[in-house]
Formats: sequence, C-alpha cells, structure tokens
Amino acid sequence: MITIRNLTMTYRTAHGEHQAVKGVSIEIKQGQFYTLLGPSGCGKTTILRCVAGLEHPDGGEIQIGGRTVYSGANRTWVPPHDRNIGMVFQSYAIWPHMTVFENVAFPLRHKKPKPNRAEIRDRVAKALSLVHLGGLEDRPAPYLSGGQQQRLALARALVAEPRVLLLDEPLSNLDAKLREEMRLEIRQVVERLGVTTLFVTHEQIEALTMSDVMSVMNDGRIIQEGSPAEIYAKPKGAFVADFIGRSNFLAGKITALAGSNGSATATVDTPIGPVHARVEAEAQIGDTVTVAIRPENVALLPHGPQPSHNEFAGTMDTIVYVGNLLDCIVTVGGEKVRLQLQPSAAVDRGTQVRLAFPVEYCLALRA
Amino acid sequence: MATITADKPVLPTKKPSFQLDLTSSSLIGLTLVATGAILVLVGVVLWLSFTEGTPGDPVLQYTLEHYRSLFLDGFTYRVLWNTVLFSLTTLATSFCLAIPIAWLMERTDFPAKPIVFTLMTTALLIPSFAVALGWVFLLHPKIGMINQGLVALFGLSEAPFDISNIFAMGVVEGMNLTPLSFVMTAVVLRSMDPALEEAAAISGAKPWQAVLRITARVLLPGLLAAAIYVAMIGFAAFDVPAILGLTRRIFTFSTYVFWVLTPSEGAPEYGSVACLSVIMIALAAFLSWCYRQAQRQAPKYAVVTGKAYRPRIATLGKWRGAAILFVALYFIVAQLLPLLMLAWASLLPYLQTPSLAALQSVSLRNFLNLPQALLWRAGSNTAILMVVVPTITLTASVAISWVVLRTRIKARGIFDFLAFLPLAIPAIVFSVAALLLALFVMRHFAPIYGTIWILIIVYAVARLSYGTRMTNSALIQIHRELEESAQVCGAATGSVLRRVLVPLLAPSLAYAWIWIALLTYRELTLPVVISTSNNLPFSYLVWGFVQASAYGSASAAALLMLCLMLPVLLLYWLVARRAGMIAPR
Repeated sequence: MITIRNLTMTYRTAHGEHQAVKGVSIEIKQGQFYTLLGPSGCGKTTILRCVAGLEHPDGGEIQIGGRTVYSGANRTWVPPHDRNIGMVFQSYAIWPHMTVFENVAFPLRHKKPKPNRAEIRDRVAKALSLVHLGGLEDRPAPYLSGGQQQRLALARALVAEPRVLLLDEPLSNLDAKLREEMRLEIRQVVERLGVTTLFVTHEQIEALTMSDVMSVMNDGRIIQEGSPAEIYAKPKGAFVADFIGRSNFLAGKITALAGSNGSATATVDTPIGPVHARVEAEAQIGDTVTVAIRPENVALLPHGPQPSHNEFAGTMDTIVYVGNLLDCIVTVGGEKVRLQLQPSAAVDRGTQVRLAFPVEYCLALRA
Repeated sequence: MATITADKPVLPTKKPSFQLDLTSSSLIGLTLVATGAILVLVGVVLWLSFTEGTPGDPVLQYTLEHYRSLFLDGFTYRVLWNTVLFSLTTLATSFCLAIPIAWLMERTDFPAKPIVFTLMTTALLIPSFAVALGWVFLLHPKIGMINQGLVALFGLSEAPFDISNIFAMGVVEGMNLTPLSFVMTAVVLRSMDPALEEAAAISGAKPWQAVLRITARVLLPGLLAAAIYVAMIGFAAFDVPAILGLTRRIFTFSTYVFWVLTPSEGAPEYGSVACLSVIMIALAAFLSWCYRQAQRQAPKYAVVTGKAYRPRIATLGKWRGAAILFVALYFIVAQLLPLLMLAWASLLPYLQTPSLAALQSVSLRNFLNLPQALLWRAGSNTAILMVVVPTITLTASVAISWVVLRTRIKARGIFDFLAFLPLAIPAIVFSVAALLLALFVMRHFAPIYGTIWILIIVYAVARLSYGTRMTNSALIQIHRELEESAQVCGAATGSVLRRVLVPLLAPSLAYAWIWIALLTYRELTLPVVISTSNNLPFSYLVWGFVQASAYGSASAAALLMLCLMLPVLLLYWLVARRAGMIAPR
C-alpha cells in the first residue's frame, strides 16, 4: 500500500546541512500497522512527513496505493491535499476556531466529489461515534480535554476514508494512564476499518504493543525490521538490543564455535570469563562481539551446586525496589550486571551471590 | 515481508521545483511589490542626492556637490547638535516620568491601575501637534497665557519663559512620548521573574543590594533597547519641533529638511533635500542597528519562563497619596492642561487669560468660520485613508509574514529585513521620497502627485514595519501543524489561508487594523510635504492654519479632530479588550 524506495532527505538550515534520511526503503502491505521506532532525531518523523507530502525529499520514490506521489527521478510531485491520506499530528492540530463538527467535516468538504450536506452530517456522526465522541458535535474544539482532542484528531483523520493513516507520535502529549487506553483504542479502530497505518514513535512499548511490523531506526537508517516479537527476542546489533528493552553488554572475542544451521553457539572471552552465547552462522573465530543478555533473563542461583558454564560469582551491589520487581546490580569481576528479581526474593546488599546466564538468552552481537 | 535495502544512499537528485499554485504565487507577488516599494523610495532619495536639477530638466547632472556643501556647512552641525540635544532631552524626560509610573503599575499595589492603563493608551494616540499647540498657547513669549499673566502681574518688561528653545521642545516631546516609554518599560518590568530577587534575598542580600545587583542588571538590556527606540522616535519627530521651533528657525533634522524643501522664494533645491534625507537615513539606520543589537542582548536575560509567576507586589503604605499625586500630575500637566488650552483658545477671537471679560468674548465663531468645503474634503480624505491604508498594509503584511515564516524561499530573510526598514526611516524622509518619486519618476506614466494615491502609498509603506511585526508575532503563535493538517485533509493553499489561517489571525488583524487606522488619523509628518489643497488630510488642514498663524482656526480644527476621534477610540478599546492587548507604537 505504501512503497518507499531509497528515500533521502536533507534539511538545509542557516547552521548547515543535516541529512535526516539516508536511503530508506519500506514496503507496507494493505491493512498493515507499521511502526517506525527510534530516538529523537533519527529521521522517523521526516519519513512520515515525506509520505504526507509536507517535506520535499532529495531523492527516491514514494508510492501510495500504487500511485507515485513522489519520484526524484521523474520529478513527480503530488501536493499533500491530493494524496488522500489521514494524519494525526503530535499537537493534534485541532482548529480552535471551529466546533467539533466543523473540524471533522473539513476533510469531507474538501473531498472530490464533495458529499452533500446530509451525507456529511451522517459521516461525521459515524466518525465521532467510532471514537466515542458522539453527541459533542456542537462543542467548540478548545473545550475538549486532551484525550478528547486526541480522539477528535483521529476521527478527523479517518472520516474521509483515506487509503492510508499516518500517526505522528500521537500519544506523546497524554498522561500515562490515558496513553495506555488510547494505545488499545487506536489499534482497535484501525483494525476494524482495515486502514493501512504508518505510526511514528519513540516509545518502545507503543511499538511493541501496537505494530504488525516495526522498524528500529537510528541516524537516518533502518537498523532492523521485523515483528515486535522477533525484534525483542533477536535484536540485530547492540543499538537495537539496548534501545528495545534493556540489556547487559559484555565485550569480547570469539574463541570457539559449535553447532550449525542457524543455531551456532560461540564461546566468547569476556572480562568476567568465557561466556557461551548464540551467534549468527557467519561468525568466525576471532571476531569481536558484544554479548547481550536482558536483566529479566539473568537467574540468581542457590548456593551449592557445582559450577557449570555461564555461571559466575559476584557481590550484590544495589537493590532498588520498584513495586512489581527488584532491580538489582551485581558486580562480577569488575563488571556491573543488572538483573530483575521477584519482590519476595531474599537478597541483601553486600552478600555473595551466584548468577547464571542461560545460553538461549545470550546473544553474541557482531559490531 | 518488507525488504530493507540499507545500501548507500543514491546521490540526491535535484529537488522537484516548488509547486506554485495561484495563491502562493500571488502572496509572493504581493511581497515583492511591497518590499519593492520600500526599495524604490529609498533608492530614489539616494539617486537624486547625487544629481543637480529640477523635475523637467532634460538631463540630470551627476554631482557630489550636495554632500560637499552639506558637510562643509557649519549650520549642518548645529542642526545635528540640536537634534542630539532634542533626542536626549526627550529620552530623559519621558524615562524619568515613565519608569516610576511603570514601576507603580507593575510592582506596587497602586489603586485603579486599569484607569491609568486606559489613559496611557489613549494618550499614545492623541495627536502630538494638538498638544504642542496647547503649549504654544501656554508658554509662547508673546501670546502664551502664563507669560502674559506673569508680565501683567509683576510688570515685567519681557516674557519670563520661552517655549521655543531646544530643551523646552525636548521636554514637551518627552511628555508626549511618556505613554510610549511607559508601555515599553512596563513590558520589561513585567518579564522579570521575581524569583531572581527572592534568590538574592535568600542569599543574604539586603533589599537595596538586591535591587542594585540583580534587578537593575537584569532589566538593563531591555531598558536600553527601549531607550534607543524612544531616542529614535525623538530623532525623527516632526510635530513638536515644527510647531514650537519652525517660526523661530530652531531646527532639528526633520524640520530642517522641511525648511530646505519649502524655501520662502524660488524653487527648492531637490538635490540638497535628497542629500539631507540620505544623511538622516544613515543616522536613523545606525540607531536602529543599535536597537536591534540591544534587543538581541535582552532575551539573554529575559526571564519569561512560561511558568506562571506573580511578581512581588510592594505595599505603598503611606506613600500611596504621593504616588497617586505623581501620576495624576503627569496626566494633568502633560495632557489635560495643553488640551484645555486648545479648547479655550478655540473659543476666543484672540488669546486672553481667563477672566470675566474674556468669558464674554467666548463664541463658536472659530468653528463656524472654518472653510466648509475644505473641511469636508479633508475629512473625507482622512476617512478614505483610514479605511484603505490599514487594509493595504495588513494585506501586504500577511503576505510578507507568510512568505518569511511559511515558505523556504531563499530570499525570505531579505524580505524580512526590507519590511523592518521603514521603522528606521524617519517619516519626513518618507514624505520627501514620495514627493521626489512622484515628481521625478512617475510624472509621465503615473501622475500621482496631488492625488490621494500618493498618500495611500506612502502611509501604507511607512506602516509596513509595524504591520509585519504584528503579523509575524501572530503567525508564529499559530502552530504550523494547524495548517499542515488542513493540507492533509485536502485543502489547497488558498483554502488553508481562507479557512484556517485568516480566521485564526482575525483577532490580531482586527486589532492591528484599527491601530493603524488611528495612527493614520493622527499622522502629520507623512502628508506634510506631499499634500495639496486637493488631497489634504485633516491633520494637514490644522498644519496649514498653524503655518498661516491663524491660531484660532488651528485650535478649532484640532479640537474638532480630537472630538471626531472619540468614536474610533471607543471601537479600538472594544477590539483591544477582546484581543487582550496593550499596544506599542
């Protein structure tokens, strides 16, 4: 439904040039919920704005529903008002001089052919009830709460039945509780209408819970694309491993390799000793890698049993109570290892503990 | 599943040309015309300052003679010195009055603040030539009432006071500019976070130490910018020095330009006038450069945090009476007294000190004797100007602001600079420029001299800097996404403008419109060298009577003008209250 090929975009300001998008290609299928995730300044919003036609890219090609809306090579350019898209802005961009009804009716009044009055009224009412704002038609737009404005923006983006819905960090201005509610609600509405959605966010939780497919971006490039489960379980590279969830990192060199066909295991020489970790099939002995393991996958062992591999002795350094779990840091051979424990776990600061890194959760990531 | 091609980016091809629809091209066109007009006016003055001759000469001779004789003429330096003294006296007077009042309004529990604000804003708009005329009636050595009274009382051989010296003129102008200084300094005082003073107090500073070491230092850049601005206005002022000093040949630059342009005999030497104007532009440009520098410094200390804070309010206590007296005295002496004198003079055949005999000669004869046809023409010209000028100015201002703030056209910085330029150019120079343009350039293909068009053009161009400052700040406050969302919703540029931008700008535009209309009403300097009996506005009618020393008619016409202003002033207050603004110039 949306095809982006080799998109590049440079901002030219008084302070010089900044290449925000460095050759990005994306293919979004009909009805898919696709998320661009990345730190601020990574170029994700720029891509979204290029799709909307609010920025002029330097090169590449953008197609929406098979129609080329931008092509650097053919000098094709379709202005935003002819692209037939819906968009929710970060600030919601609710027009304060109009009522709720007028805000939602606006896209219909600029549609060709223009629907008649009765139809407009009908479709506005439908869109508003879709987002649970039915009955608020006559209210001046500024008299809405933040959450209501968010719903209004969604209704306005969807009322003209666009082929594509663009969401630019729409949840970032809401408080935590409302944000959680709206995550579900947006996902449900989009699913019900089957509209293809491109979503931009810097919150990993939003990307993980809402997307069919997500991409992690950094510095104008896509680092990894996949389903949320794939990306969480098999981050490609230290940036993704650290950006999605949290990870402990141990730098080292591969000293031995075992296994084959996608389930290779490497022995990595790290500052705390040899660690066994899963590795890509292409890895070679002598490669420099970073071993990543998430805090929730580090296990605390009872004292006693014979030391086997991937087990390490350390000192409990810090214990922070965060309600549903204990966030702990253990010093192992000079390295700090973070792990999460049940609140009921009996641990004390300064005591000796033993940690296990289950091999299936250890990933050796090549730089 | 999607494919990722993280290969090298393709070389950037040339961007597709910016899609120009009808609306954006007309906005850009309008910007070009408006900023072009400014350039043309300045250019004509510059060009003619190097030429010799009069309109109609087949060939203009190029020469540096004007500059040479101007710089060698001792009188030029005398005028310069006078202008400097006048500006500094103006600045000192207005700041000495304005800062205490601003402090009383912003930082103390002074009672009835809204009344003071209302009076100050009204006083901003009272034509300064009317007030100056009142001072003539009070302190003129021959006809001034105070002088007459003192001479009669003590049997003096000559008048004790003389209004026609540079200091007296500066003091009068300073009192006239006090409302402007008040508005500007009040803003500076308001933007100061009291937490800075509180922090000083907690750090162990005594109150006077806090004021000296913190408050004064933090406020200094803002006050400096305001001071330069007021000095700029004083430098360019025409009304007061013209009415008080012209007959006695005490000149500042503005009145000197006028005097050279209207010699008592023979044709004016347009080249020297242009040359003098260039000097004035250069000096004014220097001042406005200083102003921009100071303004740029100010935000470094400006402490507007967005967080709502309430300034610490000092309790006046036993000083309350003195404070009220001070503020009341300012309004009575600086505004009420001269205007009362104006009214008194308008009712008398010749000026007399109030007495029973004088009361018996009171009549409306001055009003009834005003030439009715001329009065009617001046009134309708002013009415046309008041409607057309703000409309043109604001249309152009919206176009310029849109181009500067909402497009990525390379020249947008230049447009912004050009639109700021009129602020730096004294009104009398604009007037001269329009005259020269009409006489030397447009005579053949567009003879606008003597028509209302020349006034419309020069008024509209002169107000462009004010107009664009207003539309710029209004447009900056409108979140760009409000327009982008309309675009995404299917609206083309014209539709975005009509349905979103203009409705959102409407309150600011209404406010600016009526403010410019009021400035147009009180304007005397711009028409002073380009008006004829055909296209004269109301203010010029008063000026004509003053020049003919017909003080009775002058005061009657000025008073009539003040009365006619009242309904517009009322309208202004309604609009201003809705827009929630107190106005700068």
